[in-house]
Amino acid sequence: MSVLEVRDLSIHFGGIKALQGVDVRAGEWEIVGIIGPNGAGKTTLFNCITGFYTPTKGQVVYRGRDVSTLPVHKRTALGMGRTFQNVGLVKNTTVAENLATAQHLQVQYATASGILGSAGSFAEERRVAERGELILHLLELTDVARERVADLPYGVLKRVEIAAVLATDPELLLLDEPGSGMGPEEAHALGDTLLRLRKEFGLTIVMIDHHVPLVTRVSDYVYCLNFGEVLAQGSPDVVRRHPEVVRAYLGEDPTDAPVEEVAAR
Amino acid sequence: MSQTVNELGIAVVTGTLQGAVYALVALGIVLVYRASGVFNFAQAEFGTTGLFAAYAAKELWGWGYPAALAFGVAAAVTMGLLTERLVIHPLRNAPRVTLLVATAGVALTAIGVQFWQFNETLVMTMPKIDDGFFLVPPFDAPVTVQQLITFGVLIAASVGLALFFRSPSGLAIQAAQQEPTAAELVGISVRRVSMLTWAIAALLGGLAGILAGPNTTFSAAFLSFGGGAALLPGFMAAVLAGMRSMPGAVLGGLSVGVVEQLGTLTIVSENIPGARAAVLFVFLLAVLLVAPTGVFVRKAALA
Amino acid sequence: MSTTGHVPRHAAPGQPGQPQQPSDTQVLPVVDDTTTLPPVSPATDAPPPVTEEPAFRPGHVGRAVRAAIWLVLAWAVLAMPTNLLSPFEIGVADIDIASRAVIFAIGGLSLHVLLGYCGQISLGHQAFVGIGAFTSAYLVTDLGLSFWVAIGVASLLGAVQAVLLGMVSLRVTGLYFALVTLAYGAFAESTLFGITPLTGGEGGKPAPRPVGFESAEHYYYLCLGFLVLVLWLDWRLTRSKAGRAMAALRENPRVASAYGIDVRAFTLVAFAVSGVFAGIAGALTAHHDEIIVKSSFDFRLALTFVLMTVVGGLRNRVGVVIGSAFFAILEEGAFVALVEGAIGGLGFTPTFFDSALGLPAEFVGLVVGPLLLLLTLTLYPGGIGQQIAPVRQWLTGGRFDRHAGQVREVEVTDVRA
Repeated sequence: MSVLEVRDLSIHFGGIKALQGVDVRAGEWEIVGIIGPNGAGKTTLFNCITGFYTPTKGQVVYRGRDVSTLPVHKRTALGMGRTFQNVGLVKNTTVAENLATAQHLQVQYATASGILGSAGSFAEERRVAERGELILHLLELTDVARERVADLPYGVLKRVEIAAVLATDPELLLLDEPGSGMGPEEAHALGDTLLRLRKEFGLTIVMIDHHVPLVTRVSDYVYCLNFGEVLAQGSPDVVRRHPEVVRAYLGEDPTDAPVEEVAAR
Repeated sequence: MSQTVNELGIAVVTGTLQGAVYALVALGIVLVYRASGVFNFAQAEFGTTGLFAAYAAKELWGWGYPAALAFGVAAAVTMGLLTERLVIHPLRNAPRVTLLVATAGVALTAIGVQFWQFNETLVMTMPKIDDGFFLVPPFDAPVTVQQLITFGVLIAASVGLALFFRSPSGLAIQAAQQEPTAAELVGISVRRVSMLTWAIAALLGGLAGILAGPNTTFSAAFLSFGGGAALLPGFMAAVLAGMRSMPGAVLGGLSVGVVEQLGTLTIVSENIPGARAAVLFVFLLAVLLVAPTGVFVRKAALA
Repeated sequence: MSTTGHVPRHAAPGQPGQPQQPSDTQVLPVVDDTTTLPPVSPATDAPPPVTEEPAFRPGHVGRAVRAAIWLVLAWAVLAMPTNLLSPFEIGVADIDIASRAVIFAIGGLSLHVLLGYCGQISLGHQAFVGIGAFTSAYLVTDLGLSFWVAIGVASLLGAVQAVLLGMVSLRVTGLYFALVTLAYGAFAESTLFGITPLTGGEGGKPAPRPVGFESAEHYYYLCLGFLVLVLWLDWRLTRSKAGRAMAALRENPRVASAYGIDVRAFTLVAFAVSGVFAGIAGALTAHHDEIIVKSSFDFRLALTFVLMTVVGGLRNRVGVVIGSAFFAILEEGAFVALVEGAIGGLGFTPTFFDSALGLPAEFVGLVVGPLLLLLTLTLYPGGIGQQIAPVRQWLTGGRFDRHAGQVREVEVTDVRA
C-alpha cells in the first residue's frame, strides 16, 4: 500500500483552475520530487494534501484512508508533516519553544492537568524539553536553541523548520522548497541530510524544489507540474531530459540548446 | 391578537425608519472594514461627537440651526481625520485586535470628553429639523418628518457613495483596499486614501448622530451604549452585509431596525425584561449560526 | 610591484596638517597578476559562535539590597493593608479598597488570557463577572450553600458562558467574539440581571461573607489567596502545552494547525480559563460588597477591564496586576484623593482636578483611562509591564538594564501556504 495517493485532484478558485486531474503517488520510504515552473500549482497541491484547501474534485488518500475532508491538525496527527515556503515557525518565540510546541501531539498529560500543574505534567515537560534538545542536536542546531526565531538568518530557519517538523513525529514529510535560498554546497548538504533522515526515521518524503541537481540526486521518482497538470513523471533522469519539461522551464525550442546542459543546471 | 398585529405593523414602519440610522452607521463600519480589516468601535461616537458639537453650537453659542448642523458634521469629520492620523496610521501594521482596541480607546476618549464637558446637563434635547409628524394608515404608525429626512439622507448617501466609487477617487480607494502595493506603484497615495476613507466614515457616522439625536433625549455616550444605542445594531447590520457589501449594509440596517422593534411588542416586553437587548442578542447569535458570511451579500463581493 | 596582504589606498602619507593631494609624482601601487589578496572564507549561513558570557551574579551588597526590597514589597502586600506590624493606621474603607484592587487584578488576568494569549477580546466581560457574582449570591442566600461551593459553581458557570459564546463566534474568522460579547453584555445587563427572583431587582441581592472571613482584614487575605491560585493556574497555563498552543495560534493559525494543534479547541480552552477567572472575580465581588446591585455591572466596567489589561501590558502578569490595581484605586476615587492630597501638601488647592481642569473627581478615570490606553497602544506597547521590566529584572538577580522588556513582537504576515 502506498503511503500517499492523490487521485484525480482538481481545485478551482473562481475561474482559475489551479489543479486539474492530478495523480501523484508516494510509496513507503520513497523520496518523490515535484518540480515545475512558478505558478504550476505545486504549493497548491501541498495545500490540498495537507488540508489547507479542500479540492473541488478528487481524493487524497493516506495509507489507504481517504483524508480529503480531514482538518489540518488531524492529518498531522496521522503522520503528515509539512514545511512552508515562507518558513512555518512561530516567530515571536525561541527555537526550543517551537520544538516543544511541535511536540503538541506527543505530550502525555491532559490539557487540564497541565493547567492545574500536576506532578506528572512537570515531569512530562522535562521530557518534552529533552526530546527537543535531542532533535536539535541531530540537526546541529544546539547553539541556537535559546535564540528567538525572528532574529535568525533564513538558512538556519530552514533547518530549524525541519527540526520542528520532525518533532511532530511524522511518517510522511512534505517539504516545500527546502533548498530555496541555498547555494550548491548547502543544497548538497541538505540532500545528505534528507537521505540520512529517511534512513534514521523511516520517512517517506515528498518535496518541491527548483534545485534540479538536488532533486535528481535524492529522488526516487519525479513529477513535473505545469499549469496545474502533471506534465511528465518518471525517474529523475528521464524527467529532466523530457522535452516538455525543458520547454516549460525555458519556453524555447528544445532543439536550440543541448538538453543535458540546460537541464543539468 | 389584533393588538399584536397592529403593533407588528407599527413595528415594521418604525423599525424601518429607525433602521435608517443603523444603516448610516453600518455603511461607515463596512467602509472602514473593507479598507483595513478594522472593526471600528468609534463609529457611533462620530455621531455623538457631531451631535454634541451641533448642540453646543446651537444651544450654548446661539448659532443658527443650519450653521450648527454644518458645525456638527465638521466636528465629526475632524474627529475621523484625527483618529486616522494619530491612532490608525501609527498602528497600521499592528494586529487587527490591537486596532480594534484602539478604536474602542478612541470611542472611550470621546465619551470621557463628553462626560467632562457636558455632564452638568444630564439630559439634553436638540430641536428637530421639522417638528411635523403624522400617522400612517392602516396601523396609525407614528412617523416624524425628522425620520423621513433621515431616510432621505440615507438614500442620498447611498447614491452618493455608489457614484463616488465609480469616480477616480472611489476607484483609487478600491484599488488601495485590494492591492496597496500595486496602488502605490501607479501613483495612488495609500495614505490619502486612508484619510479619505475615515473622513467619509466619520461623515456617515456624524450624520447618523445629528439626525438621530433630536428624536430623543440624549446624554453622553448615548449612541454607543444604553437603550438608544446604534453601535451594536450598526455592527449587526454590517454582519448581515458580510462586512463587505454597501447595499447590504443599507438593507441590513433596515432589517435590524425592524427586528429590534419586535422587542417592543407588548407580548414580548411584558415577559422579558430588557427585551430590546435580548432580541438583538438572539438575532446576532442566529445570524452567526445560520449565515455567518452574511445575508445581503452579492456573490461577486465574496470572491 | 607586487604586494601581499593589504593593498594600500594611498601611496604616501601626507604631511600632518595638510590635506592629501594626489600629485603626479606619486607612485600608486600596481595591482597585477602577481598581486595576491588575502584569502576570503566562504560565506556560510552558520550562526556566529555564541560566546557564553559568564552569568551575571549580584555581589553581596546587591543581594542584601534586593532582599531588603523584597521584604518591603512582601510587607506592603501582606502586612500593611491589614495593619499588621505597621506604623500606619489604615481604616476599614481603605482595606476594602485594597481587597477591591485584588479582585480587579483577578478580573484583569481573566481578560488577559483572552487578549494577551489568544488575541481575542471581550467587550462584555462585566457580564461574566456579574453572572458569577449573582450566582454566588443566589446560591448562598437562597439555597443556603456554602461560599466555597458557590464560588466553584460561579467559576464553572463563567467557563460555560465563555465557551458557548466562543463556539458561536469562532465559526467565522475575525473578531466576532468582540461583537457577540458586546451584545451579551447589553443582554445580561438588561435581561439576565433583570430576572428579579435571581438578582433581587433594584434592591439588590445580599451576599454574606463566608464564616471566618467576615472582617475586612480576613477578607483581604481570602482575596489574596484566590489571586495566588489564579496566578498559579495562569503560570501553569503558559508553561504547558495549552499555553504554547495559544502562542502559536495567536501568531499564525496555519502553522499551529500544521503542528497538530486544534486551533478552535484551544481557543475555547482559553475562553474557559478566562471564564473561570471571571467567575471567581464575580463571586469575590459579591461577598465583598455584601449586597450587589445590577447597576454595578454596566458597560463602564467592561471598558475598565480592557483598560486594565492593555495598559497593564499584554503577556505580562505583573503588569496586568499592577494596572488592575491602579484602575481599581482610580475607580474608587482614591487615586484622585491621593494626588490631591499630595498637591495639597505642596500648598496648592486640594481640588486641583475640579477647579483647574473643570474635571469633577468622578470623571478623572473616564478621561485618564482612555488616554492612557491610546498612549500605550501607540507609544508604549508593553504598557506598565514594559516600564517596570528593568526593575523586575534587577529584583530577580539580574543587571539593571534600561532596555529590558522591550516589546519586540514581530508582525507576522500570513504564511502563504
